[in-house]
Amino acid sequence: MNNPVPRARRERWSIVVVLALGSILIFVPFYWMITMSFKTPDEAYRWPPTLVPETWTLENFKGLFATIPFLRMFWNSFWTSFLIASLNILTGAPAAYAFARLRFPGKGTWFGAHLLSMIVPWQITIIPVFLLIRAFGWYDSYMALIVPSIANGFSVFMLYQFFRSLPKSLEESVLIDGGSWFTALRHIALPTSSGALAAAWLLAFLGNWQSFLWPLIVLQSEEKMVLPVGLLYLQNQFSVNVPVLMAGATLSVLPTIIAYIFLQRYLTDAAITSGVKG
Amino acid sequence: MTASTATKTPEKQRSKSSSLRREEALWGLALILPSTLGILVFAILPILGSFGISFTDWGGLSLPNWTGLENYKQALGDTKATESIGRTLIFTIIAVPLGLVVAIVLAALIQNLKLEKVKTFFRTLYYLPMVTIGVATALLFKVLFTAQGPINLPFNLLGIQGPAWLDSPDTVLSAIAIYSVWQGAGSSIILFMAALANVPKELYEAAQIDGAQPLRLFWHITLPMISPTIFLVLILSLIGSLQVFEAVLVMTKGGPGDSSMTIAMYIYKTGFNYFKMGYATALAWLLSLALVVLIVLQWRLQKSWVHYE
Repeated sequence: MNNPVPRARRERWSIVVVLALGSILIFVPFYWMITMSFKTPDEAYRWPPTLVPETWTLENFKGLFATIPFLRMFWNSFWTSFLIASLNILTGAPAAYAFARLRFPGKGTWFGAHLLSMIVPWQITIIPVFLLIRAFGWYDSYMALIVPSIANGFSVFMLYQFFRSLPKSLEESVLIDGGSWFTALRHIALPTSSGALAAAWLLAFLGNWQSFLWPLIVLQSEEKMVLPVGLLYLQNQFSVNVPVLMAGATLSVLPTIIAYIFLQRYLTDAAITSGVKG
Repeated sequence: MTASTATKTPEKQRSKSSSLRREEALWGLALILPSTLGILVFAILPILGSFGISFTDWGGLSLPNWTGLENYKQALGDTKATESIGRTLIFTIIAVPLGLVVAIVLAALIQNLKLEKVKTFFRTLYYLPMVTIGVATALLFKVLFTAQGPINLPFNLLGIQGPAWLDSPDTVLSAIAIYSVWQGAGSSIILFMAALANVPKELYEAAQIDGAQPLRLFWHITLPMISPTIFLVLILSLIGSLQVFEAVLVMTKGGPGDSSMTIAMYIYKTGFNYFKMGYATALAWLLSLALVVLIVLQWRLQKSWVHYE
C-alpha cells in the first residue's frame, strides 16, 4: 500500500494483456478460417503453415458454388428464419401480454404448457413431431420447417417478463375510456415495447438461422435445404478439400457477424434479461 | 392523451362488474389462442406421444406393439448406452468447470476496465461465436484441431508434435469440450458482467481499507455476491453439456470408434439411423429423468453455497 499508483497501473496492464490473449482465442480461429479460404490447396496443407496466403485465389469459392447451391441455401435459411421469427412475435406478443395482464380461466395451465415446451429436451419431442409431420404429408416441404415453429415458448416467456415490468396506468386509462384489451395492447403496450419486441425477434431469428437438426431430419431435396445442413453436405462431399470447406464457413459466418456488430446492443440486453441463450 | 383519469371514477367501479370480467376472460383466451394451439400440437401432444411410444417397439413404419417396460429394461442392460452416459459425464466434468472459470475470469477482467467503449468491444468480441452458425464453427475447429492446425503451433514451436486431437480417443472429448466452451462462453460472460456490475462498491472499499489483497477480495466478496448467477450459469451449462450433440455430429460423428459417442448422439443414431423409435424415446425419457434429478440435486445443494440478499 506504500505506492498505490504503480500498482494500479500494473493491474491495468495485466488486464490488457490477459484480454488481448483472450481476444486471440476469438480472433485467430476466424482469421484462420478466412485466410484458409483464399489459399490454394497446396498452400493450405503446407507445413509450417503460412500466416498470410502467398497466392490469393478465388478458386475455393468457385468450388463451393459448384458443389452446393450455396446462395439458394443462404436464401432459404434467411427467409424461413425471417418468417418464423415474425410468426413467433405475432403469436407470442399477444399471448405474453394476456399472461402478464389479463385474468382468464386456465391461465396457469396454459402458461405452464409454454414453459414446459421451453425446457423439454429435444430428444423427447423430436420423434413424435417427425411422425406428425409425416402424417400431415409435410415431409421434405417448407411446411415441416415452419409450422412446428410458429409458436415459441421462449419468445412468450421473454415478452411476458417484459410486459410485467411495464407500468399499468396507461393501459388502465384506455380501459376506463371504454377501450378493449386489444386497443390497450395495440396502442399502448406494443408501441412502448418496440425494443423488447426487436430483441425477441432477433433471438428467434438467430435460433432458426442456427437450427440444424430439425431441417436435417425433415428436409431432403437440395433446393429446399438450409445453410447449416448444406455445410454438413459440403463436408461429406469435400472432406479432403479444407479450403473449399473454409470458404463455405466464411461466407456463412461473416454476414451474421457483420449484422451483429450493428445490432449488438439489442441482443446483449436480451441475453441478460432472458438469461438463457444467445 | 385522450384519457383523463380524474373524472372517470364511476366507470372504474363498473370495471369490477361481471360482464367486464367475462370480456377480459374472452380477450385473454383469444390472445393466447394461436400460440397455445401451436404449443399444444407441437410440444405437449408430442411429449405425451413420446411417453406412449417409449412403451412400444415402434420402428417408425409398421404398427407399434405394446412391449411394456421392455425398452427401459433393455436400456439398463445396454452397455453402449451406459458407456455413452459415462462419456457424456466425462465431457461434462471437463466442459462445465472450464466454461465457468473462463467466463468468470474474463467477465471480471472486462468489468475492471475503465472505458465503457472498450468494455463493449470485448463483450461483443467474446459473444461473436454465439451468433454464428454452429456447424460452420464446428467445421472450423475440426480444421484447427488437426495435427497441423494452429492449436498445435505452440507445441510445435517447443519441438513437440501435437496430437491430432479429434483422431485420438484420449483427446477427442477434451477437444469437443474446448470448442463448446469457446462457442458458449459469450453468453455466460454477459450474465457474469451484469452480476458483477451489481456488486456494491462499498463492500470493496471497506475491505481495501483493511488492506485486503485483490485475490482475497475476489474470493471473499465477489464470488459470494455473484453466486446466484454462478448457480444459474452452472444449471444452464449442465443442461447444455449433458445434451451435447451438434458439435459431436459435425466434428466426429461419435468417433474414433465410439470414443465421442455421447448419450444425445446415441439417441439420435438409435432413432434416425437404426429407426428404433420406441427404444430411442425410452432413452430420451431416461436422459430427461437424469436431468431433472441433477437439477433438483443442485437446487438442494445451492443452499450451502449460494448467497441471496
